[in-house]
Amino acid sequence: MLRFLLLLLSFSSLQESYSQGFQVNFQGQKQQGMGSAGAALPQDGASLFFNPGSAVFVKENSINVAMTPVFGNTLFEEANTYESARTNSPMGTPFSAYALYKLKEDGKLSLGLAAYTPFGSTIQWEDAWEGRFALTRLELKSIFIQPTVSYKITDYLGIGAGFVYCTGKVNLQKDIPVMDAEGNYGHAELAGKAQGFGVNAGLYIEPSEKWSIGLTYKSQVNMAVTNGEATFSVPNSLEPNFPSGKFSSSLPLPQVLTLGAAWKASDKLALALDINRVGWSAYDTLAFDYEQNTASLVDTKSARNYVNTYAFRLGAQYKITEQFTARLGIAYGITPVPDGYVTPETPDANRINFTGGLGYLLGDHFELDASLLFTKFSRTDINTETNLSGTYSTIVVAPGLAIIYRF
Amino acid sequence: MGLIQQSLWHQALQSFIVFSMKRNIIIVSVIATILVSCKPKLNEAEMIPGDIDVTRYVSIGGSSSAGFMDDAMSFYGQENSFNSIIAVQLEKVGATGYSQPFFLSGSVGVNFDGLSSFKLGYKTDCLGATSLSPVRKASQGDLSALSSNIYTSPFRNMGVPNLKSTEVSLVGYGNPANGPGNYNPFFARMCSNQATSSVLSDIVPQQATVFTVFLGFDEVLAYAKKGASIGSLTPVNGAPGVGFEGSYEQLLTALTQNGAKGAVSTIPDVTELPYFTTIPYNGLNLDEAGAESLNQVYNPIGLFFNVGSNPFVIEDPSAGAFGVRKMEPGEKLLLSVPLDSVKCFKMGSLFPFRNEFILTNTEISQIQSATNQYNAIITSKAAEKGLALVDAKSFYAKLQTGIVYNGVAMDARFVSGGAFSLDGITFNPRGNALFANQFIDAMNKKYNAKIPFAAVSKYNGVIFP
Repeated sequence: MLRFLLLLLSFSSLQESYSQGFQVNFQGQKQQGMGSAGAALPQDGASLFFNPGSAVFVKENSINVAMTPVFGNTLFEEANTYESARTNSPMGTPFSAYALYKLKEDGKLSLGLAAYTPFGSTIQWEDAWEGRFALTRLELKSIFIQPTVSYKITDYLGIGAGFVYCTGKVNLQKDIPVMDAEGNYGHAELAGKAQGFGVNAGLYIEPSEKWSIGLTYKSQVNMAVTNGEATFSVPNSLEPNFPSGKFSSSLPLPQVLTLGAAWKASDKLALALDINRVGWSAYDTLAFDYEQNTASLVDTKSARNYVNTYAFRLGAQYKITEQFTARLGIAYGITPVPDGYVTPETPDANRINFTGGLGYLLGDHFELDASLLFTKFSRTDINTETNLSGTYSTIVVAPGLAIIYRF
Repeated sequence: MGLIQQSLWHQALQSFIVFSMKRNIIIVSVIATILVSCKPKLNEAEMIPGDIDVTRYVSIGGSSSAGFMDDAMSFYGQENSFNSIIAVQLEKVGATGYSQPFFLSGSVGVNFDGLSSFKLGYKTDCLGATSLSPVRKASQGDLSALSSNIYTSPFRNMGVPNLKSTEVSLVGYGNPANGPGNYNPFFARMCSNQATSSVLSDIVPQQATVFTVFLGFDEVLAYAKKGASIGSLTPVNGAPGVGFEGSYEQLLTALTQNGAKGAVSTIPDVTELPYFTTIPYNGLNLDEAGAESLNQVYNPIGLFFNVGSNPFVIEDPSAGAFGVRKMEPGEKLLLSVPLDSVKCFKMGSLFPFRNEFILTNTEISQIQSATNQYNAIITSKAAEKGLALVDAKSFYAKLQTGIVYNGVAMDARFVSGGAFSLDGITFNPRGNALFANQFIDAMNKKYNAKIPFAAVSKYNGVIFP
C-alpha cells in the first residue's frame, strides 16, 4: 500500500485543464461519481478534502489512494482562416491520498493527512499551430499537503481544519515571431517552482439521521514564483535583445466556499448537493517580471479579469447489494473567464459534467471505488490581448479508481 | 497447510497475478486508446465564393502587386506578394490557374538599378561600429532575369514594378527599343508583344471574372522617394494616360465590361512608411565642441545649435538668402540618406541635406493632398461600378499604432515592426498576408462570399541572421 502511495506521489501529476479555470475536482472517487458533491456526506478519508469538519464522522480509520487519468482533447478552429489545430496534451494524472485516524476511543477526535492536486493543467498544442505566438505549452502542477484535525463537538456538530502546504511548478512556452535564416522561430520557456500556504476548514451539522449540512472554506493560495528561469532561443543577432535569466511571477489559486446538503433517504439511497463559490476574481492579471529588461524584453502584465463563479453539484448513490454501490451525478459549472479573455492555456466555457461510479467492498478491509466523468464544451471568443479568434471545443473523459483500506 | 502445498499455492497465485496483469494491461490499453481517440469533431467550415465567379482571377497593380520586396523583384517576393496570397486563398473556393512571371527560385533578385534584394546582415560604419543593417544579397542583381521575354501565355498577375495609372494603357511600355529609361524592363520580360503591348492590352483578353486593383501607390512613391525633387505627381483629373481619373476609369471600365467582380484599394499616405519615418528630423546629436563649431558657421545666418539633439540642416531655396534652414517638426528624412556621410562627414549639419533626401512640410501636404484626391476617385469609382473597396489608407494608418494578429504584434517601425520588408516601403510576407486579408474581407462582405483569410502567422516576417 505504501509503495502504491509513493508510486502515485511520484507521478508528476500532469493535469489537463478540464474544469473551470484550471481547477481540478478529482479528490475522491465516491464524490466524483456523484458530480463531485460531498461537503455534507462524509464516507471515507476524502472527507478530509471535502469537509474537514465531517471527517470525524467517518466511522473507521482508513487509508485511501486514488488516481484519475484525464483524457482531454481540445480543438481550435480559427474564425477567419478556418484553419484548425488540436492539443496533444499528455494524459493528466490527478491523484489523491488520505490517511484518517481516530485518536480517541470515544470517536470525538480524528487526525488526518491529505495530499491532493486541486489545481493544474497541462496543455500542449500541436506544432506550428496558428496560436503558437500566444502559447505552445503550459504545464501547471500543484500538490496540496494538508494535515488536518477534525473534532466532534456534539453528536450532530463537527468542526475541522487543515493547514495547507502547496508546492508546485509552472512551465510556460510559446514561440517568438522572429525567424532565423533556417526558418526557425524564436522560442521562450518560462519555468519556475512555486510554494504557497492556505487552510481548509469546515463545519458539519447532522440535525437528523436523514439530513446533514456542510459548510467549508478553502482559502486562496498564492503561488509565487520568485526564482524562475526564462530561457530564450532566438536568432544569434537578437540574443542581446532576449537575455535568458531570472523572472518572477505569481498565480493565485482561488478560495472556494462550499455549502453542501445531503439527504439519506433510506439505508440504500443518499443524495448530495454542493454549491461552490469560487473566488476567481483573484486572477485579474498574469504578470511576468524579468530581472533583465531590454527594448524587446519588457515586463508583461496580461489582463485575465476572471470573475467569481459558481458550480452546482448533484449526486446520488444507491446501495444495490451489501457489496455493490452505484453512483450518478451531474454538475454545472459557470466559467470564470469573461468574453475576450479566453486563452489557449485555458479554453474554458460553461459546462455540464456527467458522472457515474461504482463501489465494491472487498472483504472486511478493502474497498474499491471507480468513477467516470464525461464533459464536452465549446467557446468562441476573440482574445483582447492576442486577437486570437476562434472556437475552442473540448471533450474530457476521466475514469478514476480508488483503493481504500479500512481498519 | 504443508510447505509444499504452500509453495504450490504461491505459484498458482503468482501465475494468476501475472495472467491477470497481462489481461489488465490489454484491457487498460484498449480503454486508453478509446479514451484518447475521443476528440472534438471538426466543423467543416463552409468556404464559398458567394456572388463571385472565381474562374479567372487577374491582379493589377504596381511594385507591391508584382512582388517587389526588400528593394528588388525576386521569386520570394513574387511568391509572397499580397496578390499571390489572395490567389492562394481564392483557390480554396475554386479558383485555378493563377500565373505569374516568376523569377528562378534561387535568384538574388534585381531592381531598376540592377541591384539585388536586401537581406539583414552586419555592416560596419565609418566609425567602426558594427550593427544589424540591410545588406545586398549579392554584389550585383540578377540581370539575366531581365534579359529576355518569358511570355508563353497571359500572366494573371499583371502587377508591374513602378506601374503608374497613366502607364496602364501605354503601348510599348515594355519595348526595349525605346532605349534605357524609356521602357519598363519588368514589363518587357512578361508582355505578350514588346512592341505593341500595353499592360491593359495584355489584361483585357484574359477576360477576368474577378480582379483586384491596387494602383496609384507607385506614382506617389516615385515622387516621394526622390524627396519630391524630380518629376511630378500625376494630375488628378485628365484623360486616360494623362490624369489619374481618366486612367483609372479606363481600366475599371475594361475590367468590368463582362460583369467581372473585384476589389479596388485606396492608397496609403506614403509619408507614414518606414522609409520616411525611421530617421528622426532632429537626430543631429552634438557635443559641446560640435555645437560650438556649427554655431560659428551658422550663427551669422541666424541658426543656433545646442548640445544634445538638434534638427538636421537642409537646403531650402525658399529659406532666406542662403537657402539653408533647420528641419521642422513633421518633416521627413529619407532612408536613402547616406548615413556614413552623416556620421563622419558632417552631412546634414555643416553640409546641408539636399532636397532629394528630405520631404518638407510643404511637399508632404502636396503628397497627402494628391493621395486624398486619388482616394476620392477610387472610392467613388468603386461605388459606381459596384466593386468591393479596400481602405488601405486606414489599414496602413492602423499599423502606425500597431496591429496584433493571433499573438503577433506588428507595426510600421523599420525592421522591428515586423510587417515591412527591408526597403521600408513594401511589406514582408507577413505584412502582405495581413494586407491580403483586407481584400478578402472586403470581397467577402461585398459579395456574400466566405473566402478564408490567409493564416498571417504562417508567413515569414523579417529574417534575422
